[in-house]
Amino acid sequence: MSSFAIHLINLHRRYEMGDAHVDALRGVNLTVEQGEFVALVGPSGSGKSTVLNLVGGLDRPTEGEIWVDSVELTAQDERGLTAHRRHRVGFVFQSFNLLPRLTALENVALPLMFSGVLEQERMARARGFLEQLGLSGRLSHRPTQLSGGEQQRVAIARALVAEPALLLADEPTGNLDTTTGGEIMSLLKALNAERGLTLLIVTHDHEVAAFADRIVRLRDGQVAEEGA
Amino acid sequence: MTLRPFDSAQGRPGSGLTFRDLIKTSFDNLGRHKVRTALSSVGVTVGIVTIVTMVSLGIGVRKEMLSSFDALGLETLRVFPVTEERTAFDSFGEPPRKLLLTDELVGELRARGDVLEAQPSLLLPYAMNIGLEIDGRMVVVRPWQQDSGPTDPFVLEPEFLAGEALPRDAPAVVTVNTRALKDLDIAESEYEALIGQEVVIVLRTPRGDNFRLPLELSGIFDTHYGPNDYAVVTLGLPARLEMLSWWYNSHDYLARRGYDSLSIRAASLNDATQILDMLEARGFRVQSVKVMLDMVNRAMIVLETMLGSVGGLALFVASVGIANTMVMAVYERTREIGILKAVGASPGNIRALFVVESALIGLIGGFVGTVFGWLLGKGLDRLIRAIMEWQEIQVQATFFVVTGWLVAAALGFATLVGLLAGLYPAARAARLDPLDALRYE
Repeated sequence: MSSFAIHLINLHRRYEMGDAHVDALRGVNLTVEQGEFVALVGPSGSGKSTVLNLVGGLDRPTEGEIWVDSVELTAQDERGLTAHRRHRVGFVFQSFNLLPRLTALENVALPLMFSGVLEQERMARARGFLEQLGLSGRLSHRPTQLSGGEQQRVAIARALVAEPALLLADEPTGNLDTTTGGEIMSLLKALNAERGLTLLIVTHDHEVAAFADRIVRLRDGQVAEEGA
Repeated sequence: MTLRPFDSAQGRPGSGLTFRDLIKTSFDNLGRHKVRTALSSVGVTVGIVTIVTMVSLGIGVRKEMLSSFDALGLETLRVFPVTEERTAFDSFGEPPRKLLLTDELVGELRARGDVLEAQPSLLLPYAMNIGLEIDGRMVVVRPWQQDSGPTDPFVLEPEFLAGEALPRDAPAVVTVNTRALKDLDIAESEYEALIGQEVVIVLRTPRGDNFRLPLELSGIFDTHYGPNDYAVVTLGLPARLEMLSWWYNSHDYLARRGYDSLSIRAASLNDATQILDMLEARGFRVQSVKVMLDMVNRAMIVLETMLGSVGGLALFVASVGIANTMVMAVYERTREIGILKAVGASPGNIRALFVVESALIGLIGGFVGTVFGWLLGKGLDRLIRAIMEWQEIQVQATFFVVTGWLVAAALGFATLVGLLAGLYPAARAARLDPLDALRYE
């Protein structure tokens, strides 16, 4: 098994909009090592979210190859992409994307339902993650009853509950104040350090990017600069 | 930490979601919009109420008729001779018969293994004046035309006060009712003494010719059997033949007229059908309880189909309503679908969630409809019985019968209607692009 977690080769993504088209990615090449914490930065429209969605199996490239853990994602069918999302990656979104009708506990347990894990075990595992993230007092709260930081921690717990090796975060602090954002980033950094979780985050905030081992700067759909 | 391979022990894509979770999640989703769910299922309820009520009526009526017909004997056939059409009367005052019920036919049928009984009968003309003479005194009597036996299951066995019933084919015996004896001023105490005595059946033509047929009195039965308040005699086949031969002045009556009818009891319903086919193929007119039952059944099926169509139409409208609800639900939950896909739901999972939700709407409507249909049947049953009682008609029947299979079929059908209505919305939900869905506001 190779040591890299993500390997992107000449990645293109073109969005057709009627007669016009937009080239979101124009030949991105990127390698992320296992256990590495990489921040994708760049101005809006530079293609950083597109990279994240492609690696997460939410989207397919127009051209190029995506390898995640020596499996070619671009060769997978719908079932393969579903399995990828189910077992290999966890998503953290800027707007949290929690289901408002479910409690914090149920939200975290949700991904396990699609893996056929029985309810009792699902809840036990979800509770464990929530407790680790300091939310033991918020298990039966609904998202609307939680602060932004708490909601994002619930979302992180949900991303971790299926124990993926790769965590993808799209502007995880975008909806949070600076202090809370800092707390969330410290949490992610700790997860990366303690669990060996490979972390790929998208941000336009330099302070957030500073938590990463490596910063990759995108511009006009291409990697413009890589550096620590 | 190493990356786990695809299709790990945690489950396989496309499967995973357990049936229990599927049902629970669908119920939760429906529970979020109780009013909408209830309104969507009303159409199904109306359709199922109609169908359950109508079908239960069909079952009840058919069951009632079947039990009545069963009592008549489904293995019984009645064969009649064939008369010529548009022909003048013959010497017997009736249109000539072209296909006769002969002794050969009776013999042939009796020889068959699948025939338990073949009983011919002869009818005495209504114009025939019959007298019963006992000890020199005479009273006018009517013949009891129907032979007991397989012929006429409607007839109850008469109650004999003395002696016994007429043995079939007995050559020279007669039974009389109490009315006839009362007319002859014979007291009940003398009944026993009369059994075995010779009595005379007297025929008299309007011209004044007389025919005397001495017979042995074999039994005396209660007046309430047969036509009320008439003096009645029952006569065996040989006696009737003798009377007819004299009446029509025909020495070869049977050869020329044959029997008037022939009752056959077959060993089984299947045998009865075969014998019926055989006789009809030979041109005889055959009546059977089964043929009547088949006709009734066909009429019931037509009725049920018509009424069922009304329910079917209601269900079709209901399915459109459910489909509409589900399409709206897909729109409303687009973002949720995106989230579910992002956390590992397969298109199949999404499809299953929506189809099951839709099927549950059908099931809920079907359940309520079945209960209401059953209650409606109960109510109508009571109403019919009350009306019948008021009209002083004695009825024990249950007209609306809800059987287990009807409940199962109604629930199954309602669920199927919901499921079919959900297929298109579910397919739409499953096809949603996860990224587009996540961006949906």
